[in-house]
Amino acid sequence: MVLADLGRKITNALRSISNATVINEEVLNSMLKEICTALLEADVNIKLVKQLRENVRAVIDFDEMAAGLNKRRMIQSAVFQQLVKLIDPGVKAWQPTKGKNNVIMFVGLQGSGKTTTCTKLAYYYQRKGWKTCLICADTFRAGAFDQLKQNATKARIPFYGSYTEADPVVIAQEGVDKFKAENFEIIIVDTSGRHKQEDSLFEEMLQVSNVTGPDNVIFVMDASIGQACEAQAKAFKDKVDIGSVIITKLDSHAKGGGALSAVAATKSPVIFIGTGEHIDDFEPFKVQPFVSKLLGMGDLKGLVEK
Amino acid sequence: MFNVFKGLVGSKTLTRDDIQDVLNKMRDHLISKNVAADIAAKLCDSVATKLEGKVLGTFNTVASTVRNTLQEACVQLLSPKRRIDILRDAMEAKQQNRPYTIVFCGVNGVGKSTNLAKVSFWLVENGFRVLIAACDTFRAGAVEQLRTHTRKLNALHPPTKHNGMQMVQLYEQGYGKDAAGIAMQAVNYARDYKLDVTLIDTAGRMQDNEPLMRALAKLIKVNQPDLVLFVGEALVGNEAVDQLTKFNQALADHSQMENPRLIDGIVLTKFDTIDDKVGAAVSMTYITGQPIVFVGTGQTYTDLKNLNAKAVVSALLK
Ligand SMILES: Nc1nc2c(ncn2[C@@H]2O[C@H](COP(=O)(O)OP(=O)(O)OP(=O)(O)O)[C@@H](O)[C@H]2O)c(=O)[nH]1
Ligand SMILES: Nc1nc2c(ncn2[C@@H]2O[C@H](COP(=O)(O)OP(=O)(O)OP(=O)(O)O)[C@@H](O)[C@H]2O)c(=O)[nH]1
Ligand SMILES: [Mg+2]
Ligand SMILES: [Mg+2]
Repeated sequence: MVLADLGRKITNALRSISNATVINEEVLNSMLKEICTALLEADVNIKLVKQLRENVRAVIDFDEMAAGLNKRRMIQSAVFQQLVKLIDPGVKAWQPTKGKNNVIMFVGLQGSGKTTTCTKLAYYYQRKGWKTCLICADTFRAGAFDQLKQNATKARIPFYGSYTEADPVVIAQEGVDKFKAENFEIIIVDTSGRHKQEDSLFEEMLQVSNVTGPDNVIFVMDASIGQACEAQAKAFKDKVDIGSVIITKLDSHAKGGGALSAVAATKSPVIFIGTGEHIDDFEPFKVQPFVSKLLGMGDLKGLVEK
Repeated sequence: MFNVFKGLVGSKTLTRDDIQDVLNKMRDHLISKNVAADIAAKLCDSVATKLEGKVLGTFNTVASTVRNTLQEACVQLLSPKRRIDILRDAMEAKQQNRPYTIVFCGVNGVGKSTNLAKVSFWLVENGFRVLIAACDTFRAGAVEQLRTHTRKLNALHPPTKHNGMQMVQLYEQGYGKDAAGIAMQAVNYARDYKLDVTLIDTAGRMQDNEPLMRALAKLIKVNQPDLVLFVGEALVGNEAVDQLTKFNQALADHSQMENPRLIDGIVLTKFDTIDDKVGAAVSMTYITGQPIVFVGTGQTYTDLKNLNAKAVVSALLK
């Protein structure tokens, strides 16, 4: 199970509070240390981890805490709230509108899984009865168009791209115009991988965004990413209007904490997770049940909505 | 005033307590630079062991002593104990009339195929003829990706510049076939046509995916390449540890050989995307004890470098 290992560690740490006969500063600190170690091992951004520790400490003031108050519950709920804050930006996820053109643009670092995930998302909506298509606006990566074409063909999804046009902005514009005219409901634009250190690549992303006028920009993150995630995610957010995050490759052993830091940086919710290379290795993601599960709390409708 | 003076100068025997605070800060610093948490802790422990009971030199603060010791440990870690000299070894293989063979492996999307193409370019620039073996028979577009690279590389180094010889060729059998078999056919092809080096591209795979790991072990076992390179991206966090441990483990477990072929070296990619968060270099060498043979620093053919251990350590401790 995704993040199960991290969940187990956090639950164990919380249990130490339940098991302690007296709850004092020392018990709290040792529990917080355990939780922070678990988060760091899961690649959560170190600044966020420090903040989480401070925020919990700030809520729990042993001197002021009324004698009768249930310290255990207070501590657990403070931890819970902080973890939710980490994963939940408090923004409602964007939803496409039926019967209208919804343009969705994919962006992200090189190799994060954009092209694969584009087809997964298209397939997801197609199966739900939406009129769906794909556009390959990656003219840089060798074989990029073949990749999208083969994926789309296999899933029987209409696609647009070019072997000869070198400008992704032109392709994106042509593709979106064409599919809008044909009344497609979900129009997905795949773009090249890029990183903040190369201005020209970021400029190109902005131009593709400008000509396609996306209703939603999805930032795709690899679950294995470490501490470099925050700076990259921030830079992407500063350039284009990211509305959602998808975390890929959660079928690995990675706990996705680095990628979760992208949520804080982009203030956008995780909407789907990728759990394999195949087209249906893809699941919608819900924040609250996820955190509940993580902490082994309450009845959980499961991590994901099936 | 006198107390401060005393803390700085005067000789003093260090205890674990003296250095614990500094070490904790150092550990957090390493984690913030993307060293895996576990390895950051181990590195700091080794520094503690080295320093405990030592006499603090005059004019040295505890912090600077810890820092210097850590710096030495990291430089040593990143300086290869064993040099891998591909050009020399490929030349030797050529003299024995056999192709020198390298396998590129790693998890999905890290840059195996792209950096294989960069290595091709580097080999061609050094006068070797290269055969690229398209053994990723799974991922959509994988074969076309290599075909495009082959075409571009030949355009940069046309036969007219090389006595009429085509410098890069592609060996492919399309999709869906057994990778180990294609690799073997490719090596035979290279031998028959006197091509100097065979570079074997493999499909990305997760280290916990047993059937795929088994298939990789088989490819390596039956082909006995000269070099097995693990490709890992500098972006990776704690997962670097698990990837390398399990790739090595799988190669050992599934080979059923007394002395199985394991990872010989590392290609560290996307080094241009991480600013000073260079920790993955430390994590990867710590786990394998193997050298970083190449560093990928961009998406063009010339973005392939050697690791500068001193520069990495200075970014790490900055
Ligand atoms: N195991 C696993 N592999 C995945 C997942 N998503 C994508 N991949 C693989 O990751 C690799 C890279 O995926 P791509 O879709 O090509 O990534 P990209 O972001 O389009 O790459 P660029 O266009 O080069 O930036 C491929 O091998 C995919 O099969 C996932 O959820 N799990
Ligand atoms: N910035 C940067 N990008 C790189 C580097 N090396 C590779 N890439 C990019 O990373 C993406 C994935 O590269 P590939 O070579 O397809 O990765 P792969 O490991 O073969 O992927 P799969 O075969 O799908 O597992 C591409 O967009 C490459 O251009 C590098 O050193 N720096
Ligand atoms: Mg792509
Ligand atoms: Mg590849």
